[in-house]
Amino acid sequence: MRVGAVAYHPRIVTIWEAFLEHFDREGVSTDYILYSNYERLVEAVLAGDVEVGWNTNTAFVALEQRLGAEARILGMRDLDAQFATLIVTRRGETFGEAGELAGKRLALGSRDSGHAAILPLHYLAEQGLDAASECELVRFDTDLGKHGDTGDSELRVIRAVAEGSADAGALGEPTLAAFRADRVPAVAELEVAWRSPTYYHCNFTALPSLEDTLARRWEEALMAMSYDDERMRNAMDLEGVKRWLPGDRAGYESLAVAMSKT
Amino acid sequence: MSTRRLEAGELELGGGLEVLLAAALEGMPTGALLEVITPSRSTALELPSWAHAAGHEAVGDRNLPGGPYAVEIERGPFARALAEPLPGRRPGPPLRHGELHTADLRSPAEVPAAADGAAGFTPLGAIAERGAPAFRWTLNERDALWADDVSELTEQASAAQWDASRDIPWEAARGLPDFIERAVSQVMTFIAQNEYAALYVPAGFLADVNPAYPEMLQWLAGHVHDEARHIEVFTKRALIGGQPSYALAATELSLHTLLDERDFSGAALLLNVLGEGTFLDLLRFVEHHAPDAATRVAATLAHRDEVRHVHFGISHIRRAIATDPDQKAALIGAAERRAAKLTEMSGLSPLLTEGLTVMAAGSLQPAELARGAGDVRELMQTMEDNRIKRLRAAGFDRRAAQHLSDLHTPNLM
Repeated sequence: MRVGAVAYHPRIVTIWEAFLEHFDREGVSTDYILYSNYERLVEAVLAGDVEVGWNTNTAFVALEQRLGAEARILGMRDLDAQFATLIVTRRGETFGEAGELAGKRLALGSRDSGHAAILPLHYLAEQGLDAASECELVRFDTDLGKHGDTGDSELRVIRAVAEGSADAGALGEPTLAAFRADRVPAVAELEVAWRSPTYYHCNFTALPSLEDTLARRWEEALMAMSYDDERMRNAMDLEGVKRWLPGDRAGYESLAVAMSKT
Repeated sequence: MSTRRLEAGELELGGGLEVLLAAALEGMPTGALLEVITPSRSTALELPSWAHAAGHEAVGDRNLPGGPYAVEIERGPFARALAEPLPGRRPGPPLRHGELHTADLRSPAEVPAAADGAAGFTPLGAIAERGAPAFRWTLNERDALWADDVSELTEQASAAQWDASRDIPWEAARGLPDFIERAVSQVMTFIAQNEYAALYVPAGFLADVNPAYPEMLQWLAGHVHDEARHIEVFTKRALIGGQPSYALAATELSLHTLLDERDFSGAALLLNVLGEGTFLDLLRFVEHHAPDAATRVAATLAHRDEVRHVHFGISHIRRAIATDPDQKAALIGAAERRAAKLTEMSGLSPLLTEGLTVMAAGSLQPAELARGAGDVRELMQTMEDNRIKRLRAAGFDRRAAQHLSDLHTPNLM
């Protein structure tokens, strides 16, 4: 099985080298091919250069739009099934209802990031705030093509809020947890004012034409990866996964709607 | 399953709350629920991501308008460390009048006979987490390294440290007559040269010792440190008089073969018992005939350290032979192999013999020189007699001891 992934950081090699050994042990020979951005990865899946793409939610939705049909989801991280976006403000400047952000400067991450740009706008709109017209958007479009994976644009978001060049800022929930764990100084100046509904993030995507037996064997091998296996813990920590889950498409609806409007 | 409750009070994530949460969840079984009560909406909104990152799951919340907020966390199935659970608290090791001695950290029976050659740096008493990279130690067996009193010897080594810059009356070494200074400088240079080998030999083994034997690491590190100070003090003594001397090629040849010995017990015999043992008599001689207090004190202090090193060597060899009688032949083999490489050495370098003679004579007058030469002859005899005594103490019979002493390098070390 050839799996395509985006090389947003050198650790991707560390992760996939460990994953390959796992798939080998499980008897499903697997290789990985790295791309520099998700648009290329989507192309590769559609062209059959790889059987599986390790896609962001944005890439997955784009792939299905291109395909004009439902793709096959082979699995996702536990993290991906419960993703949420947070909006932070400076301490003491929190807000209650989304509408209170009207007239404020709202910082967003890379415009191709589901969690740091597309979905916060979508969910705020659902709650009655058309942020694009009612707020002054402060966008940090760094690392485009990586769909927010690097966390760079979100770091700029929280710095902008902490320094006062934005009043509120959106970022992925795990990104804030990672900034806290890394003791990023700007985080200490902030509080969380808003949490979006949860949605799905990354998944392993294949074309519907993928041979069923192979797909099932690969899914089973993926699910067999254990966080209690000392050979895998480091790679799983780097990938941010504690348990792999079988995928479904329920949690991509909001993003599909949001992306169909742009 | 009952739900535990944790009042966060004013604590926030990143501000200490995570410590309380981790402690509470650590003691709970998988699937148990912890309800966290916080007055902060921000903290309540952030708890789900903290819980996930820590391997748990936020499963519910009750956000009453205006707070306080309650978030329910389900304890995840994962252990934070990939290892067996920590054993309960036990009484610590005993103290000796308030002192905590290395020998009291574990009983001799608790020193493992063999250690895992791939194991990492696990301090005594600690539980190793799985998943660490594999190391490749080569000295993994107690009996190949051990001496029964190694812990006591390390204790003595720590207590007996001294300072080659400040503990020597250096002023006293200035202004000696040229002929004496030349003699002293040559002897000091010779000793310093040999001390290099005495450093490199234990240092060569140090990084091969399995970390399961910290007593051995302490011992060898102390040995290396002692020798570094000996190199320092004898080099300084040679330098302070302003008279350079030769680093002798014959000495290098002898020391080169000492470094060739890659068996720990073989090296302990050749270096600690035979080499440093012989140096004990040399240092006594220097101490006795030193023309100045600086030379005398340097020899006294170095002698004190060397006594420990020799004691370790004898203790180790005696134990090695007692646990494995075949060791005796292997050790004699090591000495024979070295001697075979030293056949071209004819005897102690004349430059050194002359230096020792002049030091003992204290003058260039014929009568004094004759007495000095007699003292050096007597030194060689004392060295041989004591070598045999030490070899006997290490467990060799009279014949083997004589044979080993005869094989010993004419370079003394």
